[in-house]
Amino acid sequence: MTNLPASIRPLLQRLQRRLTVGLFLEIWPRWATGSLLVAGTLALLARIFFASAASILPWLWIAPLLALLPALILCARHAYRPAEIAALADSLGGGHGTLLTIFETGAAHPFTMSQFRMPRLRPWRKLWAVLAAAGFLVVALLVPQRIPAADGRTVLANDVVADLKTAVEELKSEELLTPEEEKNLAEEIERIRKDALNRMDSSSWEAADALREKMAAGLSQKEDALNWAAESLAHYAAAAQAGIPPTSAQSEELADAIAKLAQNGLLSDAPSDLQKLLGGKDALAGGNVKLPKDPEALRRLAASLAQHLGDRSARFGNIRRLPREPGRFNPSEFGEFNYEQGPEGNGPPGSGGINRGRGDAELTWGDESLPFDRFKSAALPPGSVRSPDDWSPVTVLPGAPQEAPELSGASSGMQFSGTAGQTAWRRTLSPRHYSAVKRYFDNSKSR
Amino acid sequence: MTPEARTLLTQDEVTAAQNQIGKLVHQLRRVILGKEAMIDEVVAALLARGHVLLEGLPGLGKTELVKALSRLLSLEFRRIQFTPDLLPTDITGSHILQEREGRKEFTFHPGPVFTNLLLADEINRASPKTQAALLEAMQERRVTTFGETRPLPDPFFVLATQNPIELEGTYPLPEAQLDRFMVKVDIIGVDQPVLEEILMTRVHGEAPHLEPVLNLSELHNLFRATDAVHLPRAVANFISRLVAATHPRTKSAPEAVSNFVKYGSSPRGAIAIGAAARGLALLRGKPNVGFDEVRRVAVAGLAHRLVLDYSAKLEGWDGHRVIHALLDAVPDVERGLPQTMEAAKG
Repeated sequence: MTNLPASIRPLLQRLQRRLTVGLFLEIWPRWATGSLLVAGTLALLARIFFASAASILPWLWIAPLLALLPALILCARHAYRPAEIAALADSLGGGHGTLLTIFETGAAHPFTMSQFRMPRLRPWRKLWAVLAAAGFLVVALLVPQRIPAADGRTVLANDVVADLKTAVEELKSEELLTPEEEKNLAEEIERIRKDALNRMDSSSWEAADALREKMAAGLSQKEDALNWAAESLAHYAAAAQAGIPPTSAQSEELADAIAKLAQNGLLSDAPSDLQKLLGGKDALAGGNVKLPKDPEALRRLAASLAQHLGDRSARFGNIRRLPREPGRFNPSEFGEFNYEQGPEGNGPPGSGGINRGRGDAELTWGDESLPFDRFKSAALPPGSVRSPDDWSPVTVLPGAPQEAPELSGASSGMQFSGTAGQTAWRRTLSPRHYSAVKRYFDNSKSR
Repeated sequence: MTPEARTLLTQDEVTAAQNQIGKLVHQLRRVILGKEAMIDEVVAALLARGHVLLEGLPGLGKTELVKALSRLLSLEFRRIQFTPDLLPTDITGSHILQEREGRKEFTFHPGPVFTNLLLADEINRASPKTQAALLEAMQERRVTTFGETRPLPDPFFVLATQNPIELEGTYPLPEAQLDRFMVKVDIIGVDQPVLEEILMTRVHGEAPHLEPVLNLSELHNLFRATDAVHLPRAVANFISRLVAATHPRTKSAPEAVSNFVKYGSSPRGAIAIGAAARGLALLRGKPNVGFDEVRRVAVAGLAHRLVLDYSAKLEGWDGHRVIHALLDAVPDVERGLPQTMEAAKG
């Protein structure tokens, strides 16, 4: 194109650029459409059969970009040659052959392309197919991921230990479990799950409940240790504040309480200065706690310990405040944590005494409809019995019926009686009305 | 790509040729009113040294056109009225026993074919044998009699006429003979304003007096100029695709060709179109052939070369209609615009 006569060079170069764009828009949409359809099919297959591939499915959107490579190669291979461009330009300019002649002979022929108009691009002729294919990919990606259904035993086994795992997570988040306890609990949970896989019966649920009770007991023990330490520290501090030197009994009690805290892992994340005042990590781990003799150190110990205990206590409070939702760990369900003795000496399961087993739990009401809403109004036929066919026996009485003279007007369904100067009336209702009224006033099924 | 340097007619040469041709055309238009397109086709064929077959109803000016041409070109003109009893020797000439200096010998008496411009009037009324006498003359521009070949004068044109009606006792031209005509020009009637003009200018129907506008030398110069008209390769490609598509078994054949054409055009058809397009381009004052010239002469150059199926007649298709369908189906350029582009309209 560079050594063409100057009279036609700019025109042919412009046409060449536009033809290149047009050719690309003709070739690339085919490849892009094909790649998007393949990607959509892959996405569908992944949605249905390969759940593990779900995370990489968004990468399928690069398919049209990948299609650029073959499209560009084809564009380069099928690019318009200069002779073809000249022929096209001549044909578009009226087909006079002048441009072709200049192109072929290089003659300095006067040339005006007044009739020539640059062809227009119509990309949507091909791009709509790309949009449709992209829509297919969108739909394929929006298809919900099909998770292969586990067998019923696995589902039940997972269900048995689901609450336990949640409970462990809750305790872990509040840092109320030592790593060793966490590891033991995980092993226990896994053992229960495997047992449930092998044999699913009530023992699996009982084992799970037992572990939950064990966790609650451990938590209660830790809280006891915390309360003891707080109480001992209060006594110790009160004596110190009053200017009375703490007695050796008070000191020993505080040391024991701190040792108890350490045994329960409640000092594992204590501040370093507190651990240092108590003799270091090794002493705490061995339960060999020695209080400092220095009054100033003692004062700092008391302050630091009080702060630590307060923090720990807040975490127990968080556990208590957990909403009572299914799957959330609620220690108050267990008597050892929130023990309430019943009036007859009975208590929650596991606390001794007489109880009604696991079902001895108070029913809770949540989103149930109001009693009035339970009765839905419905139009009934007239209450009086007007037709012999419109009745059904309410009860069958023995013996022959006795006709009461005052009931002879029962055809209207009305019955009158006079007692002590009063007049009362009763109305004989049809069985459907009778059952409707009975259902409305029946309290036996509410609550 | 480096453009190949070729000899191209200069603008002066083209202008000079156009002026001379313009005089000829102008005078012909004085004689034949309202037939500008037909005159252009005939002149283009003559510039390309091709033979012309004129077909039309009686009284439309076929013979008048040829006579006018002979007067304007100052060429030797002969006319043969073809009749069923016409013999080949009546055209080519014959040997006659003559006595010369006491000896008797055969002397060749040239027939009317030995001329520059031969009017073969109502050519389809002669027998095929007589029609065939023109075959060698038209193609080889020579005549062989008694084993002796004689060249015809240069230039040599055959302008034949035939009547599409009154076909009783006629012999339709065989395909081989039709193929030798560069173009077949159909002459149709004139419209009312032209008729009015004829009435106003022709008292007894005589043509206006004509003076020669081109001598033999000038005519030869025009022939050379016509041969020098540049035929671009893309246009040649268009002609070849057009002619190839007349064959019903080719992939590019349009539906009309597949359905109604039995045999397509010979390569002579492509040569004829190229040559006639050159003549038309020079007539238009162009140093090159364009797609539009090819389209303009394609019907006259190809329609009579098609052998149509019997179903074409039943369906009302003739060669002209088939070629028009062909021109609609075959694009100018082999490789058109991408499908995502369209030519700007207006």
